[in-house]
Amino acid sequence: MKMQVWKLLFAWLVLVNLAVAELNVVATVPNMGMLAREIGGEAVQVRVMAPPDRDAHYLEARPSMMAALRRAEIVVSVGGELEIGWLPAAIRGANNRLVQPGQPGYFEAAAQVHLIGAGRPADRALGDVHPHGNPHIYLDPERLAVAGFALAERFGELRPDEAEQFIANAQRFAERVEAEMAELRVQAEGAKGVLLYHEDADYLLKALDVPIWGYIEPLPGIPPSASHLRSLVRSLEGEQGVIWTMNFQPSNAGEFIGRELGWRAVQLPSQVSATGTVDDYFAMIQAWVDTLEQDD
Amino acid sequence: MKYKWFACLLCGTLAASGVLADEVGPASDPLDPVPYRLRSLRLSDRAAPLTTGTEFNPAISVIFDFTYGYFTEDLDDPAGFGMGHDHGHGHGHDHSHGIEEGFDLREVELTVTGSVDPYFDAMAMITFSDDHVEVEEAYITTRMLPGGLQIKAGKFLSDVGYINKQHPHDYLFVDQPWMREFMFGDEGLNEKGVQLSWLPPLETYTRFGIEILQGESEGIANYIGDGNHEIVTMLPDAGVPDRNRWRAGKGMREKDGPRLFTGFAKVAPNVAENHALQLGAFGGYSRVMQLEDTHSSGRLETWDGDGWFAGADVVYKYDGQGIHGHRNFVLQGEYMFRQLDLAYRSQQFESFSSLVTTDANDQRWKQDGLYVQGVYGFAPRWNAGLRLDVLGITNDGFEGRGTPTDFGTSYRYTGQITYAPTEFSRLRLQASYMDMAHGDDDDDHHDDGWMFVLQYTMSLGVHGAHDF
Repeated sequence: MKMQVWKLLFAWLVLVNLAVAELNVVATVPNMGMLAREIGGEAVQVRVMAPPDRDAHYLEARPSMMAALRRAEIVVSVGGELEIGWLPAAIRGANNRLVQPGQPGYFEAAAQVHLIGAGRPADRALGDVHPHGNPHIYLDPERLAVAGFALAERFGELRPDEAEQFIANAQRFAERVEAEMAELRVQAEGAKGVLLYHEDADYLLKALDVPIWGYIEPLPGIPPSASHLRSLVRSLEGEQGVIWTMNFQPSNAGEFIGRELGWRAVQLPSQVSATGTVDDYFAMIQAWVDTLEQDD
Repeated sequence: MKYKWFACLLCGTLAASGVLADEVGPASDPLDPVPYRLRSLRLSDRAAPLTTGTEFNPAISVIFDFTYGYFTEDLDDPAGFGMGHDHGHGHGHDHSHGIEEGFDLREVELTVTGSVDPYFDAMAMITFSDDHVEVEEAYITTRMLPGGLQIKAGKFLSDVGYINKQHPHDYLFVDQPWMREFMFGDEGLNEKGVQLSWLPPLETYTRFGIEILQGESEGIANYIGDGNHEIVTMLPDAGVPDRNRWRAGKGMREKDGPRLFTGFAKVAPNVAENHALQLGAFGGYSRVMQLEDTHSSGRLETWDGDGWFAGADVVYKYDGQGIHGHRNFVLQGEYMFRQLDLAYRSQQFESFSSLVTTDANDQRWKQDGLYVQGVYGFAPRWNAGLRLDVLGITNDGFEGRGTPTDFGTSYRYTGQITYAPTEFSRLRLQASYMDMAHGDDDDDHHDDGWMFVLQYTMSLGVHGAHDF
């Protein structure tokens, strides 16, 4: 009787192990989940921790994240301290040696690319600054393509049999990015410029060579005061452009400035859905770029 | 047959854990034609493997906690919870999270955290108050244990319950719940020892832990040992005072640590995307619980025995999807029961070097406490909360086999409103009304009263991620 129980237990364990033969990937935000699925293809199973409609700066470590990380073989994060408020605590609470920072099972996309704004003073009087540079690379298809190759190599370390396929997937993703960006650049040509709420679309706008008029936040992470909004309006009077606000940021400040200046204020998502594909990702980028076209 | 099962299991486990994957994938091909690939190679020359948390290593943060308090009455411990330090000589402990009247620098917390090496993380928190420096916590945790195991060793706040392991700046109110303060002690269950925790690989977050602790927490594991009871008396005399030293052993048990053993289990069912729920159960046994009270007459009262506790905790958090905590809601509550079995002795000096027992009996204390609190983010950067503390729903002291004395139930009602300009600064205004049980003693002066506190908390440097 006792023996049978053990056999059953063994059988169960074996089944569990077979079931997780796919690389168990946990991504922090949905766009990174998209990248992981794109690079990993059939060989990975991806789970995303952050809901798509939330500011990844301000999430909280949840037990469900720890449960996901407990069984993960690799965590794919944006990095650059974007997730510093919750990811370290979630990893700490997961009791999983594979995903500890420094292990192959801990991946930061921001560490694989060049960040803009790096080396700014680490002084919080200047707001919630990121001395490593702007971490919002998840809205930059080109940097994701670069990070994709690094991720493919990392996946390859964990699943050597699939390594070549991962590189091929990264290549395919990069080619897609190249083609899409070429079209988007043509579309964005001559765009008058964008006023952002936060420094989160800087990479995309720089890649498309679209000027950034400024930021509704006076300092990163600091909400605008009425006087700051008025001074923005004064300084932008007579100019043309569009105001971009992410779907988790307050829309009223952008709408106010839009009314005052006669600019269009748009609020759109910055992350695909939890199961979003590369098509969804470019549809999202396309929606942003579509707003650049002036009516005049 | 047996062997086959095992081999199969081994292969599966190794494959799943990636142990077999130590062979590095194909080297990057420098002639790769795609520009992004080239860019990746070029950039990866300069890029570090990770960035988060590497700006400062170790990460250092300093948190200031200032208060201004106004009380309508002098506040005492709730009836039945002042044992051992009731008679005029106040709280003998040197570091309190309690609130003082007037302006007060409650503490400055200096926290240093970092990775020691690939195998250990370490953290130390030193607190500075007006006249004390104290090591609040200093421990290491393992990073590389297999199978979801983790060991924590050093001085740390026990993981029993939910609020016990939080630091004062984590509380959603200015002060800690009565339950933690009076069942465990001013500093909660903060002990030197070892903790082993285990997370089974389940879809639902589940965590088990056991702790082997020194046993020094004043509410459940206070330790005195067999020191000497000593007083010096003087008789005024012409010229030279006549000095007499009275000294004798207290007659309490001497027991080396570990003296306190605890266990906990937590489970967080997956409710829905924006909802998080965690349920916990905990308990502990203390081999030694000792208290003493010295009177100016030279009389010494001692209590020497053991104790156990058990409780349950529940936390529910709703993520309101608003900005800066707007519409977030937290509801948490904990209940805890403790029983102390103590041999009571009252001793007096019969000579300069010996004590005689004048009274002795066996006492049993059965006490419990709970709190329930809710905090809601009613606007971006603002929250407000209510808390109910109940202490001594059961508050019985037994002498021998006699009928218990009920010391009564005390209530505290607290409301707070908080404004946090950023994650790094916070202002909080709190009002409490205390409805105190009056105990069995007529001259007990447990007055009902109000307490108002303004708190400002500021954080400098790296402010690490908070645990759930």
